[in-house]
Amino acid sequence: MIQLNNVTKIYPNGAKALVDVNLRISKGEFVFLVGPSGAGKSTLVRLLFREEVPTRGQVTLNGRNLVRMREREVPLLRRTIGVIFQDFKLLPNKTVIENTGFALEVLGVPAKEVQARTRSVLDMVGLSHKTRAFPGELSGGEQQRVCVARAIINNPALLVADEPTGNLDPETAWEIMDLLYNINKRGTTVIMATHAKDIVNQMKKRVIAIEKGRIARDEEKGAYGYEL
Amino acid sequence: MKRKGLTGMSFSSAQYILRETLNSLKRNPWLSVASIVTVMVSLVILGFSAFFLANASNMANMFESQVEIAAFAQTNLSQSEVLALEDRIKSMPQVASVELVTKDQALLEFGQSLGGKKGDLLSDLGGTNPLPDKLTVKANDPQEVAGLAAELTKLPGLETVSYGQGVVDKLLPFTRWLRWLGAVVVGAFTVASLVLISINIKMNVFSRRREIQIMKLVGASNWFIRWPFLVEGLILGWVGGILAALIVGLGYRWLADYVQMTLAFLPMVQNSALFWQVLFGLIFAGMAIGAVGSAFSLRKFLRV
Ligand SMILES: Nc1ncnc2c1ncn2[C@@H]1O[C@H](COP(=O)(O)OP(=O)(O)OP(=O)(O)O)[C@@H](O)[C@H]1O
Ligand SMILES: [Mg+2]
Repeated sequence: MIQLNNVTKIYPNGAKALVDVNLRISKGEFVFLVGPSGAGKSTLVRLLFREEVPTRGQVTLNGRNLVRMREREVPLLRRTIGVIFQDFKLLPNKTVIENTGFALEVLGVPAKEVQARTRSVLDMVGLSHKTRAFPGELSGGEQQRVCVARAIINNPALLVADEPTGNLDPETAWEIMDLLYNINKRGTTVIMATHAKDIVNQMKKRVIAIEKGRIARDEEKGAYGYEL
Repeated sequence: MKRKGLTGMSFSSAQYILRETLNSLKRNPWLSVASIVTVMVSLVILGFSAFFLANASNMANMFESQVEIAAFAQTNLSQSEVLALEDRIKSMPQVASVELVTKDQALLEFGQSLGGKKGDLLSDLGGTNPLPDKLTVKANDPQEVAGLAAELTKLPGLETVSYGQGVVDKLLPFTRWLRWLGAVVVGAFTVASLVLISINIKMNVFSRRREIQIMKLVGASNWFIRWPFLVEGLILGWVGGILAALIVGLGYRWLADYVQMTLAFLPMVQNSALFWQVLFGLIFAGMAIGAVGSAFSLRKFLRV
C-alpha cells in the first residue's frame, strides 16, 4: 500500500529530517513509528498525505506517486486519509461538532448525514457532552479526541496518527488505542508515531524505529526499545 | 460520492458557502465594516474622478467644436467653380463639414444687418458685389486644424485661409492637457483604490491563513475554500458600491446644481445615461473588486 524509495527530506532551513529511507507497509497493517524527539517521525508521516514532498526519492500510495501528483489531485488523496495531527489543527472558530463534521462537508455530504455521523463518532471518542464547545474551551486531551473523531469520520483507508495519545491520561489513552485497534480490525491501515512505551510494548505490532532520519530498526511484534 | 462540477458545487456545498459567509461576516463585523468603508471611499473617489474626466473631455470638446477654418474664394470664380471647390474640400479625408456662404447670401445678410434692401445696397456699391464666397470648414480632429489650413491654402481658387491661429494654437494644447489630466486622475485613483482594497482583503485572508491551511490538510479543494471568500467579497463590495453610488450620485447632482447657479458659464455634463452608467459601474466595480480581489489574495495561501 505504502512504499518509500530512497526518500530524503531536507527542509528549506537545511535540517536533514529523513535520509535515504526505504519502507514498505501493506494494506491493513498496524505500524508504530518510534524514536527520539527530532528523529523525523512527523516528517515521514507528513509525506504520506503530501503536506511535505521529499527532496529526493519517491513516495507511492496505492500505486499513486505522491511526488509527481498534480496539485488538484491532492484534495482527493487527503480525503482517503484520516490524520490525527500532533498539534490537533482544529479550526478555532468552529465548535466541536463543526470541526468534526468538516471532513465530511468537504466531500459535499448532505447536512443531515453530517449531523448524524458526527454525533455517532463524537460518542465513540466520549465527547458527546461537549459538541457545542469551541476548541479554546477544551482541555488538551479533549482537543485531541476531536482531532481523532475528525480523522476517523469518513472511514479512511489509511489512518495516520502523530502522537494521538500525547496529551491523554493512561486510561483515556487506552480508550483511543482501543478505537484505533478496532478501526484497524475493520481493514484500515494505521500508522502511529508515538513515545508511549507501554502502549507499544503491549500492542505487539510492527515497530519501526527512526534515529536521525534513518530507519534504525524494523521489527514485527516489536517493542519500544528505548529507556526514557 | 456525488459527481461534482469543475467548481465543486452541490446543494449542500451551496448551503455551506452561505453559512460560512454569514459566519465570517458575523465573526469579524469590524473587518467587514472596514472593508465596506474601504471599497466605498475608493469608489467614491473613482466615481468623482470619472465625472471629472467626463466634464474635462466635455469641456475640451466644446472648446474644440468652436474651432473652424474660414476660407474665402477668389472673387473672380464663377458660381459653379465655387461649388466644385466646395465638393473638392468635402472629399478631403480630414474634413468633417463644409458650409458655403455665397457672396449673394453674404451680401443679403450684410444688407439686412444695415437695415436696407439688397437691391439698394448692390446699386450703392456700383453694381458689383465686393464680398467673397466664404467656406467654413471643420476638421475631423480639431488638433489637426493647422495642417488642414495649410493644405487648403495650396488649393487653387482659395484666397485667404484663417482659423484664428493665435487662440487655437493656445487652446489646443490646453484641451489636450485637460483630457490627459482627466485620464491620469482616473488612472491614479483606480490604482490607489485597488491597492487600498487589496490590502484590506489580504488582511482578512491573512488573519485566516491557519484556517485555510487546516481546511486544505483535511482535504478541502481550492474552490471549496475560495467560494465563501468570493461570496463575502462580493457582498461587501456590493454594499460598498451601493453606498459609493449614493454618495457620488447625490454629490454630483448637488454639485451640478450649485455650479449652474453660481458659475453658469461653466457647463457641467448633465447626461443622465452617463450618470446612471457611472453609478451602476461603481456598484459593479465594487462587486468585481471584492470577489476577484478575494480570490486573488487567496492564491498564496492555498498552496498547502
Ligand atoms: N517545518 C519544518 N521546517 C524546518 N525544519 C523542520 C520542520 N519540521 C521539522 N523540522 C526539523 O526536522 C527534524 C525532524 O523533525 P520531526 O518533526 O519530523 O521530528 P519528530 O520525530 O516528529 O519529533 P517529535 O517526537 O518531537 O515529534 C527536526 O530536526 C526538526 O527540527
Ligand atoms: Mg513529531
